[in-house]
Amino acid sequence: MNAPGWLQRFLNERYNMEVANTFIDKQMHKRLPPHTGWLHIFGSLSLLLFISQTITGILLLIYYRPTPDEAHASIQYITGEAHFGWLYRQVHAWGASLMILGLTLHMIRTYFMGSYKKPRELTWMTGVMIFVVTITFGFTGYLLPWNQIAFWATTVGTESAAKVPYIGGWLQYCLRGGDAVTGETLSRFFVVHVIILPWVLTGLIAVHLFLMRATNLATMERVGEEKKTPEECGIPFFPVHVAKEGVVAVLLIAVLVTLSVLSPWEIGEPANPLSTPPHIKPEWYFLPSYQLLKYFQGPYGAFMGIIACSVPFALLFFWPMLDRGKERHPRKRPLAVGFGLIGLISALALGYLGHVSGLEKSYFGARYHFSEKGWPTRIADDAPPSDSGGH
Amino acid sequence: MTQQSNESTRRGFLDVFIGICSAITAAAVTIPGLMYLWPAAKGGAGGEVEVKGAKNLAKGESEILQVKGKAVLVVRTSSGFDAYSAICPHLGCLVKWEGVRKEFLCPCHAAVFDSKGRVVSGPAPGPLSPYKVKEVGDKVFVSAV
Ligand code: HEM
Ligand code: FES
Repeated sequence: MNAPGWLQRFLNERYNMEVANTFIDKQMHKRLPPHTGWLHIFGSLSLLLFISQTITGILLLIYYRPTPDEAHASIQYITGEAHFGWLYRQVHAWGASLMILGLTLHMIRTYFMGSYKKPRELTWMTGVMIFVVTITFGFTGYLLPWNQIAFWATTVGTESAAKVPYIGGWLQYCLRGGDAVTGETLSRFFVVHVIILPWVLTGLIAVHLFLMRATNLATMERVGEEKKTPEECGIPFFPVHVAKEGVVAVLLIAVLVTLSVLSPWEIGEPANPLSTPPHIKPEWYFLPSYQLLKYFQGPYGAFMGIIACSVPFALLFFWPMLDRGKERHPRKRPLAVGFGLIGLISALALGYLGHVSGLEKSYFGARYHFSEKGWPTRIADDAPPSDSGGH
Repeated sequence: MTQQSNESTRRGFLDVFIGICSAITAAAVTIPGLMYLWPAAKGGAGGEVEVKGAKNLAKGESEILQVKGKAVLVVRTSSGFDAYSAICPHLGCLVKWEGVRKEFLCPCHAAVFDSKGRVVSGPAPGPLSPYKVKEVGDKVFVSAV
């Protein structure tokens, strides 16, 4: 990992390279706690995905046109005619989902290992901000192909924003750039997706990584009673941990390409503001909120629904302030672990109900129709399949 | 007054003065930016919009069109024409007119409205808002009420 000799000479003659060299050397050979293993690679996985999203995103930008007349056709051009355009679009679309999955796994790891506790509270809080920004990336990016499903999912999504107390109407008007989802909305989402969020996320990741390095990784010892592990017991960041990250990078490329080839994302019909297609559903990571909103009806329903959807994120953000126990080991934190498991299972259950709601599904040879709230009713075996049949 | 306290009041004054000037400058720079984000009104096709296919609509059939950029459903009834906003008050999907059942149906979360736009079932918090219909000779026009 050394620069070529001529470059070193060139720099040494001009700058005081001592400082830079010691810094880089210290960072590269930093010792991580002895238990650092494969569970600790989800952070790097998310970072690799962010890099991949940036590269594929810039490539897509070369042919993409952010107007209602051209957006859909430009995506068709990218996937149909530009060399390898299909691959970059697929890797970008799959990468978005995998990045949210990677962040979720990273959060689960740090939650159950108690790594968010003192002195790493701010590392966790910047992490939650990274998560929210990444979800916003997904929401704004989804509209860009300007197809039916995206147009109507965005209509429904921004309509929910209107139910936010007091500022809802104002918020929705600003998000949409008018009363309805139009070319103005497309422009706004485009600017947010390709200019604003990338820089916000870059800044947040820089702070997150800086904090992570400043405190080193957490061990499983009680808060404030960490023993200083002798230098030689630690895992060297380079080459041991970097090698693991290399393996992850190669596997990630394999997974992205495989998914892109075997299960490509469709482009779908171009957006038609005068016709809503059946079964509008958001992306999988919005399904829990989407389903939760449905259980709040009546005059204050929408208001309560918005509150119910925000509380989990607020809890997540402030969690290190709420859980001040000294233990890190999951077996010694039954309350925090129980709470975490309940949250995780509820999100999965709500997501599943959101996924099947309004559809027909078969389980063990019997057909069921799921209502909007997700309650199943058995359908007689001889009934003809309705148009709401899913697979 | 001593030299010292004179000095410190002058400093205090300067701090406040610089603070106020910075705040005014910051406001002067940010407020136009925020206003720029607020969409300026754009005139869509508004006022009265002609229902082009009105003549060809059979009883119980409907046509969808836009009035000031908003989707409106015109329904041919036994006595004339009715027009309702097609935007579902639940979360903004477009309802469809079911001529046989004489109901508006929303494809998104199954809200149902009767032929007068009133909620029959489903999650909609209110009715479909009516539009004004005017017949002039054999032409039909729709406008916001
Ligand atoms: C693009 C997004 C992110 C990137 C690139 C990233 C990167 C990393 C990396 C490389 C590490 C060190 C290795 C590891 O522990 O996995 C780390 C540590 C950490 N991250 Fe993230 N992370 C991201 C998002 C998040 C999120 C969403 C959270 C939680 C809400 C979070 C919370 C933490 C915490 C608490 C640590 C310290 C772990 C410890 O000391 O053991 N990060 N992050
Ligand atoms: S948008 Fe019509 S029922 Fe939800």
